[in-house]
Amino acid sequence: MEVTMDPLFLAWSYFRRRKLQQCSDICTTILQDNSYDQAAWSLKTRALTEMVYIDEVEVDQEGIAEMMLDESSIAQVARPGTSLRLPGTSHGGGPTPAIRPLTQSGRPITGFVRPSTQSGRPGTMEQAIKTPRTASTARPVTSASGRFIRLGTASMLTNPEGPFINLSRLNMAKYSQKPNLSRTLFEYIFHHENDVNNALDLAAQATEHAQFKDWWWKVQLGKCYYRLGLYRESEKQFRSALNHQEVVDTYLYLAKVYQRLDQPITALSLFKQGLDHFPGEVTLLTGIARIHEEMNNIPSATEYYKDVLKQDNTHVEAIACIGSNHFYTDQPEIALRFYRRLLQMGVYNCQLYNNLGLCCFYAQQYDMTLSSFERALALVANDEEQADVWYNVGHVAVGIADLTLAYQCFKLALAFNNDHAEAYNNLAVLELRKGRIEQSKAFLQTAESLAPHMYEPHYNLSILSEKIGDLQSSYTAALKSEDSFPEHVDTQQLLKQLREHFSVL
Amino acid sequence: MSESSLLDLPSGLVAFFMDLHEPRIPAVAVASGPCVYVYKNLRPYFKFTLPGLRVNTLEQDVWRQVREGQIDPLTLKEMLESVRKTADVPLSVRSLRFLSLDPDDMDDFVQLHKQQPIRRQTVITCIGTLKKSTADEDGVSCLVIGTESCDVFVLDPEAFIILSTMSLPAPPTMMDVTGQFDVEFRITVACRNGNIYILRRESEKPKYCIELSSHPVGLVRVGKNVVVGCADESLQGFTQKGKKLWTVLLPAPITTMASMELPTRGLQAVLVGLANCEVQLYRDKSLLSSIKTPEVVSSICFGRYGREDGTLIMTTKDGGLIVNILKRTASFEDRAAAAGPPLAQSVRLNVPKKTKLYVDQTLRERESGAAMHRAFQMDLSRLRLAAAGAYVKALESSLTPMSCRLSEPLKMNAVVQGLGPAFKLTLNVQNTAACRPVANLAVSFLYDESLYRMRTPYMRIPLLVPGVVYPVETFVECSSDKGISDIIKVFVLQEGSSAPLLSAHINMPVSEGLTIN
Repeated sequence: MEVTMDPLFLAWSYFRRRKLQQCSDICTTILQDNSYDQAAWSLKTRALTEMVYIDEVEVDQEGIAEMMLDESSIAQVARPGTSLRLPGTSHGGGPTPAIRPLTQSGRPITGFVRPSTQSGRPGTMEQAIKTPRTASTARPVTSASGRFIRLGTASMLTNPEGPFINLSRLNMAKYSQKPNLSRTLFEYIFHHENDVNNALDLAAQATEHAQFKDWWWKVQLGKCYYRLGLYRESEKQFRSALNHQEVVDTYLYLAKVYQRLDQPITALSLFKQGLDHFPGEVTLLTGIARIHEEMNNIPSATEYYKDVLKQDNTHVEAIACIGSNHFYTDQPEIALRFYRRLLQMGVYNCQLYNNLGLCCFYAQQYDMTLSSFERALALVANDEEQADVWYNVGHVAVGIADLTLAYQCFKLALAFNNDHAEAYNNLAVLELRKGRIEQSKAFLQTAESLAPHMYEPHYNLSILSEKIGDLQSSYTAALKSEDSFPEHVDTQQLLKQLREHFSVL
Repeated sequence: MSESSLLDLPSGLVAFFMDLHEPRIPAVAVASGPCVYVYKNLRPYFKFTLPGLRVNTLEQDVWRQVREGQIDPLTLKEMLESVRKTADVPLSVRSLRFLSLDPDDMDDFVQLHKQQPIRRQTVITCIGTLKKSTADEDGVSCLVIGTESCDVFVLDPEAFIILSTMSLPAPPTMMDVTGQFDVEFRITVACRNGNIYILRRESEKPKYCIELSSHPVGLVRVGKNVVVGCADESLQGFTQKGKKLWTVLLPAPITTMASMELPTRGLQAVLVGLANCEVQLYRDKSLLSSIKTPEVVSSICFGRYGREDGTLIMTTKDGGLIVNILKRTASFEDRAAAAGPPLAQSVRLNVPKKTKLYVDQTLRERESGAAMHRAFQMDLSRLRLAAAGAYVKALESSLTPMSCRLSEPLKMNAVVQGLGPAFKLTLNVQNTAACRPVANLAVSFLYDESLYRMRTPYMRIPLLVPGVVYPVETFVECSSDKGISDIIKVFVLQEGSSAPLLSAHINMPVSEGLTIN
């Protein structure tokens, strides 16, 4: 006779092996037999939560409403080096846009894409609602909840049998009295149902039941307040939780709150405080490095990324960021080492081969250059990656003076990604060399409208207009170029020349 | 408070003493249009109008014939045009206006105006004052007026008759007057042709001429010298005979200038308002002091205000008024000019050192250079082939957002705006040909109809003029609530050909609008 395993134990086993669907199915059958089985009920909520769980610390999306209608900011014009919003005013040391390209928000591009690197405050509403090139979604989100639904929760996808727990019928007060059930229930409501209001309700009652002595509930309250945009309240909860118990996660959440409040200095000191309690904690070190990077203080960011690597020498973000920093500070051979390390670690994608190809080219290891690009092309996952690879191949082609190939590559980049402003700019220069002024001008104008933050199209248009004698357009374009890159010497010279021209009798 | 409205924009304002009555109350003269309005005790007192200019006799004759009905407007036009070409005296404003009219309006115009006599009137461009016979501070002054007709008049303060007339080669824009009319005087006039002329008593023509390299924007006399601010951001000093003494380059364009004289301390200097929100004080070519202002200063006046002798009054561009009072302890000493090599020389450049790794790699390059070259060349030919293949494919299917055909060189880019579910799709189409327009074009879209709804899936594009960007707009609505997105393909088609001229793929953003609770 076959011995059947206790179904609850089997479900547990499935849960530990992360076979969440099976676990949830078994729990469902148990609950059909005995709908008051609290163990099965609790396990099912956990399984369902795990299915859609995302790391709350890493996800940070600023919605369009928060960006444009921000009333928590104290000073509109912050002092240099105290704000994440004015990257240009940091205390220097970073590379100029001539060497390291900038993102739309005016920060140097980073070596590692994470949620916050793509965002940044658009200057105008127009910019905010335009779809930027770096992401395939309209990045600024209408509200924080919109993004979380897609990233984490399942409530949008309708369940044929109706929802597992009907939140509206739930007696919050009753459940908040049962500590063994209330936590899983909270996580289910927060992550799976994404119903922050009910989660907040439950957390508030539970923390009251625990006589305000349970740090875990305080952290959850803080998370709820954070989601609701009540940053000061959430700061209070996290602070109070830290008084009860020092936990790394709480530090990270609190730092997130400070970053959202645009107080990077406070966030930094908080991280350092956290490091006193948890020396060498990688997530805290990474947090510090990220803030330095966002404040355009690349040398310090690199220092901290190096500290991260001392603790965890397989940290992909740290390796990628240090590598890209070496690449943009004229040491491609060292960048090559870092990228090779990533390759050895098993990172195997288009972007990595793309970077390897570029590093090889600039470190004069020509035999590996083009084969890297070929692999990158073979590994492309979407059109945007393909466009980026072709764009870089175009650069190599310019470097070896094969202008026909370069022309084809830039056009291919545009064929795969119609909004590739850099490719438009380079194509315009090639067209100008061929003497096709009208084409060149049209491309530059397109590049300008696609990426107003880049100084190159403005500057090129200025030169072109000056050459054909249209001094007024040349002057306006040069002013725009100066706006996006004030230290650019060539622009300054051109402006000086134009001003002299205008004032001369 | 009293307010008097003027008929025309004022072009200058001076205060002067016009008689010897006690108590000594100065009058205010405002130049506006062809008139000078004199106000005394805040009330209008007198109006002086410039004499009319000489009218062309031929023109007069023609208009007389019109009045007598001898010629019709068309003949009048022909005759006036011939007069304009040949005569040395320019036509009157009426005739010029008539010449610019449409033939339909001519009759009415002639009927309306033919009865009035022809006049030629000029306007005042600048105004100044000149002491009559004594150099006292409250001595009687004459008005000096510069006009658009290149004349300078000196007016008698009591009778308002022209005492003296001088003519210039160009219309004056700014003037500075010194001396007494009955003894000896100098009028320094900056003119619109970029020259400065110096007029003296007993000469109808300018005595000296200063030719500047750039347009003058400010003119101030300091002692016996003239300081001129130029449009090329420079300040230049000249003697009263027109010899250049010095030039100072300024950090920003000049907005206004004024002189600053403190007889008690023997200071004679020039105040210069700059476009970078600064006011600088120069004694000759040395900078004495500079004041930061919150806005760009549009005019400056230094002098006695109430009981304070050294008061600086500035108006700003946005309509503000700033009053500064000179400290009694202020010292005016030249700032020591920095000597030695420029600062930039001692700044060390942060050039990264070549690493050991780099040296090792160069060794590898040296050893196996030939093999590396061969590998590179082989890869290069392969890549060229791949690129050419992909390029041909893109061309054949018109994937690129710009058309390479010589007959229709077009370019397009698409912008998606909005958060969803409604998006606005803007296609910027541009004809990049040098001079040929392109016509008969249409735009069509290819999309998943279960996901998107489009208001106008097919549009005709108007004739494209070269070089102009034509935005073609349409609205897309996302009908899915699953948070997924798709590509919309755009084709630009030409009538009579089945292959698209160019196409673009638009990666639609995920619709966020439906997910807001």
